[in-house]
Amino acid sequence: MGVLITLVVLAAIVAFVVAIYNRIITLENRFENAWSQIDVQLKRRADLVPNLVETVKGYASHEKGVFEEVARSRQAMMNAQTPDEGAEAANMMSQALGRLFAISEAYPELKANENFQLLQEELSAVENKIAYARQFYNDAVLQYNNAIETVPGVFIAGPMGKKEHVFLEIAEGDRETPQVSFA
Amino acid sequence: MTKPGSARVPDVMTDRVTGRRIDLYATQAANRRASWLLFLALAAVLALIAWLLALAFDPAGAGVFVGVGVAVAGVQSAVAWAYSDRIALAAAGARRASREEQRYLVNVAEAVAIGAGVPIPRVFVIDDRAPNAFATGRDPSKAAIAVTTGLLDLLDRQQLEGVVAHEMAHIRNYDVRFMSFLAATVGAIVVIRDLVWRWARFGRRRSSGGGRGQLFAMIAVLALMVVAPIMATLLHFAVSRRREYLADATAAYITRNPEGLAGALGKLRDYTGAPLQASEGVRHMFIVNPIARLNATGWWSTHPPIQERIDRLRRM
Repeated sequence: MGVLITLVVLAAIVAFVVAIYNRIITLENRFENAWSQIDVQLKRRADLVPNLVETVKGYASHEKGVFEEVARSRQAMMNAQTPDEGAEAANMMSQALGRLFAISEAYPELKANENFQLLQEELSAVENKIAYARQFYNDAVLQYNNAIETVPGVFIAGPMGKKEHVFLEIAEGDRETPQVSFA
Repeated sequence: MTKPGSARVPDVMTDRVTGRRIDLYATQAANRRASWLLFLALAAVLALIAWLLALAFDPAGAGVFVGVGVAVAGVQSAVAWAYSDRIALAAAGARRASREEQRYLVNVAEAVAIGAGVPIPRVFVIDDRAPNAFATGRDPSKAAIAVTTGLLDLLDRQQLEGVVAHEMAHIRNYDVRFMSFLAATVGAIVVIRDLVWRWARFGRRRSSGGGRGQLFAMIAVLALMVVAPIMATLLHFAVSRRREYLADATAAYITRNPEGLAGALGKLRDYTGAPLQASEGVRHMFIVNPIARLNATGWWSTHPPIQERIDRLRRM
């Protein structure tokens, strides 16, 4: 009888540990997946850039400085090796694109161009999706951190070698759709 | 992208007036508990009807009435399970939005889906000047969102995000599934009532003279037959109102921007043009009921008052 009880208790403990283990792995996969979603959107933005630059060049060919800036940021993104480098390049690109759209305000014919309008909508949408993907990433990291820092997860997170992850900082005004106007 | 560094999660879920945190997960859990209680209550009503029928007539008759009612409800649920999205979309006159034609709408839906962490739903448009929207689909992978062209014309991007997030919330909270189940249960009670009416009027009565108890049971059955469908419908609407509040709160959480949905609801409230052409069966699904007076505090309303919804959003 005593043996049976011991076995049942052991089985229950094992099942409990397995459930916590699976929960932590599920949450970890979720935020890693969320990270790749950010990556997908950043790549999509980089793919739209050459097309945009060509369109703007057709109307504002002498604005060489900003074209070079955009090209440099794109190059930096493609060459990025670490997440930090990638993040910096993506930041550079956001700023360069902001300037490009600011300049385009001065060219009414460009603004009326159908292709330009299309690209502008697509880029706004991508910026928006990047912001949402970052937000979801942070949600997923928060859930994960909570799971490994609270009871019962905290007991097996250590042996599993799981550590707290950091949030992405969401810049002020990031969630606004970029609307540049020079009054 | 900013460098991973200091932790700052945007906080929109704190009530600015009371300073209390709104716990979305707790609200969701409470909602789920309420759903189960409701289910048990309806099951109890069905059992009570069966018992009274057995007293008034005979156990076999009661078995037939309740059995047929439950069978009909089961078939209804199965059909709803399989076809609810197609039926609802067809009834509302929705057509699939193409990326080329509705680029803006499709982009907004994709962005909000990323933020909500759900698969990207199918997007539909309804050619109607009245601004409105609804969601259907039994689980997130089968979801569809439909908005009217009037809504697209009326709202700005953040407001449209709010409305789309509200619909996404209905999907994520499994509201569509629960509400169609509930509607089927109400339907079962109605079927039993109709069977009993027919039996009482045209059926063959048992010849053996019943005692007093049987008479009382019969009166109780008739009374219950009148009251039960009404009670079930009222319960249905009460749950529907609760779910609208929860979907609003979830939308604010998904977009981190309660003002988007609040602004959109304000515009929907102020719309005075022709009401949406939608059949009665699908009206309760929309973000605001096309019949303006059904967005009110009353028992027969499917939606809470729009102003109260806006106030709650602005307090977040």
